Amino acid sequence: MSNINRRTLIKSSLSAAIAGTAFSRAAFADAEPILLGVSGPLTGPNAQYGTQWKQGFDLALDEIQAAGGINGRKLAYTFEDSQSDPRQSVAIAQKFVSDPRIVLELGDFSSPASMAASPIYQRGGLVQFGFTNSHPDFTKGGDFMWSTSVSQADEQPLLARYAVKSLGLKKLAVLHLNTDWGRTSRDYFNNAAKEYGAEIVVTEGYIAEERDFRSTLVRVRDANPDGLVLISYYSDGALIARQARQVGLKQVICAASSVYSPKFLELGGDAVEDVHVGTRYFPEDPRPEVQKFIAGFKKKYNGLEPDAFNAYSYDAMNMAAAVVKIGGTDRKAIRDAFARVKDVPSVIFGTATFDVATRRVKGAMNAELVVRKGQFALWDGKPT
Amino acid sequence: MSSWLDYTINGLIVGNVYALVAVGLALIFGVSRLINFAQGSIYLVGAYIGWVAVVQLHTPLPLTIIFVAVVAALVGVIIERFGLRPLQNSVRIAPLLATIGISFVLDQLVMLTFSPNPRALPSQLPDVRFQVGGGTIGPLDLLIAGVGISSALLLFVFLRYSKLGWAVRAASQDRDAAMQMGVDVNRVNQAVFGIAAALGGVSGLLVGMYYNQIDTAMSLQATLKGVVAEVVGGAGNVPGAVVGSLLLGLVESYGVAVFGTSYRNLFAFLLLVVVLVLRPNGLFASARQAPPEPLTGTFIAPSRPVRIPRWALAVAVAAFAILPLLPVSFYILQTLINAWLLGMLALSLTLVAGTIGQVSLGHAALLAIGAYTSALLSLTLSVPVGLAIVAGGLMSAALGTILISPSFRLRGHYVSIATLAIGEIVSLVILNWESVTRGPIGISGIPPLSLFGYDLISPNSVYWFSFAVMVVLALLQARLLGSHLGRSFRAIRDDDIAARAYGLSLNRYKSLAFIFGGFAAGVSGGIAAHLYSYINHETFNTQQSILALTVVILGGLGNVVGAIVGAVALVGLPEVFRIAAEYRILIYGIVLLLLVRFRPQGLLGTI
Repeated sequence: MSNINRRTLIKSSLSAAIAGTAFSRAAFADAEPILLGVSGPLTGPNAQYGTQWKQGFDLALDEIQAAGGINGRKLAYTFEDSQSDPRQSVAIAQKFVSDPRIVLELGDFSSPASMAASPIYQRGGLVQFGFTNSHPDFTKGGDFMWSTSVSQADEQPLLARYAVKSLGLKKLAVLHLNTDWGRTSRDYFNNAAKEYGAEIVVTEGYIAEERDFRSTLVRVRDANPDGLVLISYYSDGALIARQARQVGLKQVICAASSVYSPKFLELGGDAVEDVHVGTRYFPEDPRPEVQKFIAGFKKKYNGLEPDAFNAYSYDAMNMAAAVVKIGGTDRKAIRDAFARVKDVPSVIFGTATFDVATRRVKGAMNAELVVRKGQFALWDGKPT
Repeated sequence: MSSWLDYTINGLIVGNVYALVAVGLALIFGVSRLINFAQGSIYLVGAYIGWVAVVQLHTPLPLTIIFVAVVAALVGVIIERFGLRPLQNSVRIAPLLATIGISFVLDQLVMLTFSPNPRALPSQLPDVRFQVGGGTIGPLDLLIAGVGISSALLLFVFLRYSKLGWAVRAASQDRDAAMQMGVDVNRVNQAVFGIAAALGGVSGLLVGMYYNQIDTAMSLQATLKGVVAEVVGGAGNVPGAVVGSLLLGLVESYGVAVFGTSYRNLFAFLLLVVVLVLRPNGLFASARQAPPEPLTGTFIAPSRPVRIPRWALAVAVAAFAILPLLPVSFYILQTLINAWLLGMLALSLTLVAGTIGQVSLGHAALLAIGAYTSALLSLTLSVPVGLAIVAGGLMSAALGTILISPSFRLRGHYVSIATLAIGEIVSLVILNWESVTRGPIGISGIPPLSLFGYDLISPNSVYWFSFAVMVVLALLQARLLGSHLGRSFRAIRDDDIAARAYGLSLNRYKSLAFIFGGFAAGVSGGIAAHLYSYINHETFNTQQSILALTVVILGGLGNVVGAIVGAVALVGLPEVFRIAAEYRILIYGIVLLLLVRFRPQGLLGTI
């Protein structure tokens, strides 16, 4: 153990020295890029999310490179496919830890894959920067675990306020993905909604592979709610909205920010009209980081609208760049730099600063959107 | 009261959807006695071809259906000709593995061509809704029902009254006799695969339109539900498959009604187990029907195993034992640790599936039982980790054997399906039994491996520990195979009637095999839990069970060394292909197919 640390330290300080000389010559091409390791799904059932990560990373990297890179060196990443399988993510973790070129790791996607690898990163002294890891215990894995995933303790009360205070719903039916994310979110949502004075009349958890919700929706109907709350991803969220309308439920639907994707509109069609979504940003948001992100994304990907996962990965790469800028290429210094970065521009947080105690970022932005004429629009305060 | 009408209608609607896949599976099973794991992939292909037709070519619906049917049929014929026909004289389990390999390849091809993002597949039918009970049904519901029922009827008539149908049935009853009577068996098989694939493709199209959503992950779920529905109705029985599907839909819907959404699949798989136990040939098997499996062991044909001299094995063990002392990277050690853990699981499965002939498709459940037992004991009761892992093994042996015992009276493919269901049930119980297992939140902060108070944290010590445990288990198993007990196991596998005639108690011996196998798998799961520090219900999933079976077949059924070689190969290959990034699972599938094609008895042969 101590062996690898010493070796890495020597090598990384060597490469730091090389970086210094490269910088003095101010030539991009001469210096080796600073390498980040990404562990995530490119194949298997979660492959779509890995693809979305890449889009966000690549856009951020283009901008970072255009701005002169990190102290004159390019930033680059190597993406290892884990299929979100813990057996593969631990092997990747060993690979990254023993590769002295890697200064920082990003990912994995699912909790089992990420948290199985955490002990290896912690002992190997390489930061595991999990930007979609909302599991409350993720950053408890050790002081090398940092996360910019929006804490559900932050996000769900915002959604509850939207549903209960703004929309005036009093009897809610909550449908949630039965995963660690969905369960945690549901609990925060239910507590917040009750505090705002609403009643939760029914909660239903469903597994990720579920496609048929008609019977679930009969249960929902019989509980007689005045609003449906979806703690879902965009594909299952769209399915539920469609089937809710098909079985004749006309109640207001509110959804968590994870459905915020052009795919939600495409898959849901007419059924997602008037669905309310609490999000962290929206296209007309005047904040410069949002405008830069959306314009850049559409330009790079032929007019494609970015979604929440694109934004997470874009932010994560920018955060990684900011951290490496302060911390250099020494792994321990990078860990310490996470505590020192201040006010990094971020699509999700406005500006992101880590809370050193939880190693998470607090204070996500909030936007109350609604689907109107097949587009996400800022909610105008009118009831639907 | 009106709610119950709604639940009933919803159950029938979703049953309709299952029926489309189940009919194709039933047709193929009826003729080739093969569970076609590639049927879900053809369904996937059909959905994406449909997307191309609808969104890119703007074909009208009838043309879309014909287009999809033709292309899918073509895919089916190609699968039969190049994937399965070359295997018809090899062991009966080879085609099963081949269909798994084919499904990998097809799924990956679709994913690479169309990207894994879900797509909308707009329905081409007018959007009118009819009020039925509290909900509505649309024209697509009726079309799906129409296609399901009419195809089942057509097939029934075709099989019973047409000449080619007779040939199909003759070939399914006795291939050799049919050939002697001048039936071109290959032609028959080709026709059957073509028809089943066309059905599968069209069902993918219709289901995609129904949900307005297609994605590359839909194939495994379709296969699972289709298999359940088909077996409930009686494997190989086409109208039975339709009824089985509707029944499955109803049971799920009522399950949701009474207990809630998260129990839904639990009911599907419980239904399957109950039907298998009470009526092993399915609900609609007639008494006249020939038994679905040959009575004696042609399912697993013995072959001449490769003899490896003892000194070579000793050298190999020594080489792997000193490996951490050489300058190898921790990455390679970690990969080998994964291989040793999979090796333990494979040892367990090769005993159960290879030596005594109970091919299990739910083996990951044993891992999960061991892992949860060990994790919870060490976390909540502070049991020392070494002891907790042993306890995990014992729990897995006990609970696994009890759970599996109802399927002891089953044979051949039915054992596989029952174990598949039991595996799913275990995973769903873990998800729902929150007071003990912490449900979807999972168990975090599991203490690291330790032995006699010393923490095993460095990759070297974990490597040595897992390697040593695996070698000990392998030696025990080799000793077992050479003993009287091992010979009894094989006697039961090769001819259970003869074995019984000699006074062997089948159930007792099967239990013994599961106890030993369950222990090895439980230990493997226990070690994994302490290695990962976090587990939840998804850590040990169906893919693990399928992987374990692949390892065992690849290594040679019942072959102890083969199981370990297979584990190293199947953990190693995807890692070796890492440079191929997105293409690596595709390459892995192709390599698997080639291995099955040229070495169907496994690398080291069946013992």
